[in-house]
Amino acid sequence: MPRPVAHITAPWPTQEEMEKSLGISKARKRALQPLVDEFKAQLSRLEESQVTTIEREKRRKRASAA
Amino acid sequence: MPPQPDPNAVFLNIPYDEEFHSLYIAYIVGLFQLGLVPHLASEIPGGDRRLNRIIQLIQGCRYSIHNLSRVEVSVAPSATPRFNMPLELGMTITWQILNPDQHTWFVCESENRRIQRSASDLDGTDPYIHDGTVEGVFRELRNAFRRDGSPSVPRMLNVYRLVDSRLNSIFKENGTSNPYDRSVFLDLCQFLTSLANFFPPAKLPV
Repeated sequence: MPRPVAHITAPWPTQEEMEKSLGISKARKRALQPLVDEFKAQLSRLEESQVTTIEREKRRKRASAA
Repeated sequence: MPPQPDPNAVFLNIPYDEEFHSLYIAYIVGLFQLGLVPHLASEIPGGDRRLNRIIQLIQGCRYSIHNLSRVEVSVAPSATPRFNMPLELGMTITWQILNPDQHTWFVCESENRRIQRSASDLDGTDPYIHDGTVEGVFRELRNAFRRDGSPSVPRMLNVYRLVDSRLNSIFKENGTSNPYDRSVFLDLCQFLTSLANFFPPAKLPV
């Protein structure tokens, strides 16, 4: 049976466009900013640690193949 | 004439109950990571009749997701089947038939073939089966919405875990522990819009 699939070709929305769609107020945005900054930093660290792990694994494979 | 729908907006038709909490958060996290913006009936301020507000929201969204995995009879003493989700799906189907270029709807279920018993009129449309898991929601969102640069399921799980670990702070900020509360939903969205610069993930190191 068919399932609908959305092939999205529209550009990725910006933060401002997303906020506008949701009607997020500037005051609320300011109030949450410290928590949001902490969250972003945490995600960056997590992504970075995983990149390092993957890279380490690649190096290990390269070394064992040599 | 209603205005053109927001091309990245998705109306989420889901059960507002405790058992669905984690999947609700997964839908929000997953949609943002695909560059889409979720919308809920609960986000609209009161005033007008609820049904009118819901149809306006559906009209404003290019897509909608209808989760029919919890249409069953409640376990409360006066066991009652849950009609809101099929009702909103019916409204959406009518809107889409009248405006085929303006809306696309998706049906989600947790179990294969159950929909053939609960809503046999939907025969001819396969639902997306998420197995009732966070990972399943991400997998099926990626199947339903294809966009260049979409993140992998493990990467989506990373963000999910971080958002989940922040939930208590958001609850505290809003003086509630109800994740479906309008203010909690908007704060969750605020967190995730802040990641817009992380997406598409092509911008991230692989």
